Amino acid sequence: MSNIREKADLFDKIIKDTGITKYKYTLVNSEKRELNLESGDFKLFRTVFSNSGSIKVFKDNKTGSASGNDISEEGLKGLAKDALVSAESSQEDPAHDIAPKVDPHVFKQGVLEPDVDKFIERIKELLDTIAKEYPLVKVFSSIGSYDRYNWFSRNSNGTEFEGFGGSYGISIEICATDGKATTGMDYTGVDMINLDTPIIELGDIRAHLRDIEKSLYPESIEGKFEGAVIFTPASTGDFISSVLGNYISDGVIIEGTSQWLDKVGEQVASDKLTVRLDPFDERINIGERATSNGFLSEAVTLIDKGVLKTHWLSLYAANKTGRPVVKNTGFDLIVEPGDKSFDEMLSSIDKGLILGRFSGGNPGANGEFSGVAKSSFLIENGKIKCAVTEAMISGNLGDVVKNIRSISKELCCNGGAVVPYIAVDGITISGK
Amino acid sequence: MIQDLFKSKKELFADGVQTVLRAHENRNRRVVILKGNMVQNSRSASRGISARVNNKGTFGFASVADYTPEAAEMVIKAATENAMFLGKHSSRNVQLPASLGTGEVALNGEIIDVEQKLIIEACKTLDDYIVKKYPDLKSRTVVYTEDSQDKIIYTSDAHDGHVVIPRCYIYVMLSSETKDGTPIELFKALGGYGSFYDHFGNLEKYYPEIDQLYQRVMDKTEGVYAEAGYKTVVLGPNMAGMLAHEAVGHTVEADLVKAGSVAGPSLNKQVASELVTMVDYANIYEGKQAELPVYLDDEGTIGTDAVLIKDGILVGYMNDRETAEEFNVKPNGNARGWNYSDEPIIRMRNTAILPGKSSLDEMIASVEDGYYLIESGNGQADLTGEFMFSVNCGYEIKNGKLGKALLDTTVSGVAFDMLKTVDMVSSEMEWVSSGFCGKKQPMAVSMGGPNMRCKIMIGGR
Repeated sequence: MSNIREKADLFDKIIKDTGITKYKYTLVNSEKRELNLESGDFKLFRTVFSNSGSIKVFKDNKTGSASGNDISEEGLKGLAKDALVSAESSQEDPAHDIAPKVDPHVFKQGVLEPDVDKFIERIKELLDTIAKEYPLVKVFSSIGSYDRYNWFSRNSNGTEFEGFGGSYGISIEICATDGKATTGMDYTGVDMINLDTPIIELGDIRAHLRDIEKSLYPESIEGKFEGAVIFTPASTGDFISSVLGNYISDGVIIEGTSQWLDKVGEQVASDKLTVRLDPFDERINIGERATSNGFLSEAVTLIDKGVLKTHWLSLYAANKTGRPVVKNTGFDLIVEPGDKSFDEMLSSIDKGLILGRFSGGNPGANGEFSGVAKSSFLIENGKIKCAVTEAMISGNLGDVVKNIRSISKELCCNGGAVVPYIAVDGITISGK
Repeated sequence: MIQDLFKSKKELFADGVQTVLRAHENRNRRVVILKGNMVQNSRSASRGISARVNNKGTFGFASVADYTPEAAEMVIKAATENAMFLGKHSSRNVQLPASLGTGEVALNGEIIDVEQKLIIEACKTLDDYIVKKYPDLKSRTVVYTEDSQDKIIYTSDAHDGHVVIPRCYIYVMLSSETKDGTPIELFKALGGYGSFYDHFGNLEKYYPEIDQLYQRVMDKTEGVYAEAGYKTVVLGPNMAGMLAHEAVGHTVEADLVKAGSVAGPSLNKQVASELVTMVDYANIYEGKQAELPVYLDDEGTIGTDAVLIKDGILVGYMNDRETAEEFNVKPNGNARGWNYSDEPIIRMRNTAILPGKSSLDEMIASVEDGYYLIESGNGQADLTGEFMFSVNCGYEIKNGKLGKALLDTTVSGVAFDMLKTVDMVSSEMEWVSSGFCGKKQPMAVSMGGPNMRCKIMIGGR
């Protein structure tokens, strides 16, 4: 890897020579080693050596950005010039700004020297274990990757951050087949900063393998009913992400279209729900350390026992709307556990669905959603009756978080998020 | 335009393997004006060189963000070593695909850059038009987005060439709300293949489309929820195109056929009504350049059309060189990578269900109680062909006439079941080229279709 700090010193000189006085930039040097498997056999070994540079220039309350992967002297000159020209062409908006000065920080996270041979052994072990313990499961594609990076950012207020990190990741695409019947596709994955544990024991990999095997002979749901839905960790993460995007993110607050626009401090969800973004949680492998605005990242509680604590606003959106900035631009999601086991949640439901994965459009601005329940199971009288096919669910995101009946003690930690099962009442479930 | 600096490096290709060297640049331009505020104003580019080596079915790939002869030497060496290293861990031992001939494909066009201020002025012009003509809107967003790919391909035993795919769009998103304060929105993508001046030299030509979008938003403020169930519908061209791409197209990509897609056991069988023919076009449609033409793929295969369904019979798949060899067919040029650092994988190009003989008017008139579904926000499908598309613009059909607008809903089904219910196909045909397909990497794709009458599951409330 090239010395990114020397590149930064060169970029400072170029920026000064270009006449830019207010700016922020980030330079990145990264390396990827990726193993691709097809039907259980290694097919492709891919290495990627990459650079990138991005700069945002502020001039007379105008701003412009440029980015690219050429960080040679000529490339950096081009970035500075492009960003300045863009800024000069832009319109005035004093809400654009950079964070005040922060003392220099260097962050080191994860594993900086990979053990590729051991990683290959762990991948082989995973596939061998799946073949032995889940004989009906077919792993038709898997990707194991080691990614290492070194990034460096500065701004004209004097802030300087540098980060070093590396992690392993694996994703698998699976289906089940018994020769006559085949399920649809499912997928899962985890990120790792060591290779101490067999991969199959991490995240929710075993849950996906178990569920896909049970999905071989699905049944159609007759008619339509309103019932309880247990969101698995994978679908919980997706839904919480949609809730945050639809109700408290930059765009909907600036536009004024959020239905939680004036709800800070108010109960917007069940008191069972607490949602945090915590890059320092020990279960998060590579948490955000500095925000894209130039702040040191902070842990933030967005929803505390159902009460909306803050909107999730960048510096620009905060300045634009006169609301507080949140010093967290990552998505290190922590949803706090509840007091029920998954089995207790299941046994308390007369009729409903376990939602493995939601395949649907992005909810509209009103929070309405509808889509297909994939990798899902019908619940009757507190027990799993059968896997389902062509089942649809519909509801409203705001209602989902209000109508939580229970949250599991069990948590799924995949290295990037910590999420439980959540049971929600009042979801419309329909069949053919 | 990127420059050809690397041809002499073909001398470094190893014997007994198949090697492709690719010099590749992507450029992006983006401006976002949200309710009059410029929230994004950026230009970016990524450029680099990669090599892929096939050693008896075990592939090595390497790329570097550099554009020098030394970088070319490095990636050829690294990719060759990667292929050999992986061979020790793999039991694959596949005969290398036979050469289909060598040659050189000429440059097909050019990418013309414009100053950012012209892009900003275009966005502001459209934003001004909207805010002045329609002050009652709750919000509006105007987004300019441009992405272009520029590639030079060198191969050991296929075609070399220099190809470009530029495209640019302005997305207009309009928001209002229903009487009870429920927010709703619709969007429209304007533009297509080519550079800024190919589409946005005269903005007034788009005003009628913006006016139509506004009218649909207003209709939607009075919208109703669709009644859930199995209904007769007329799918608009964009919905038919989405169906062609998501629900059928992916299942007939040969790598996914090998993974167990429903298309595997369905080859040469009736999978759709005989009114349905579906083709993945390479670069020409009805004598004119296709929406996003592919003249040469990233394995050096010359682009030709892949006929997938003919008169309702599944007749073929989309392949790369390896799967084509395995299925004993010729590849059509579907292997593409998005970025310089992406290995080529099987991707769709211009995928469409072909038009028929009916008219939209007679199709609507033929429906007693159903829906006309016009625009989809997004869609997903899996290997069984079970699909889901969001529907963000549609209307009721009552007694052969259009009724109230629909609020957001979803349609779903199993592609090869649903396509058998198609009983009318219109002669009108439309293409959409603004989309990205996600399959490990993003990819610019276009899709097209006619209006189709069929039966489908629609979600209600």
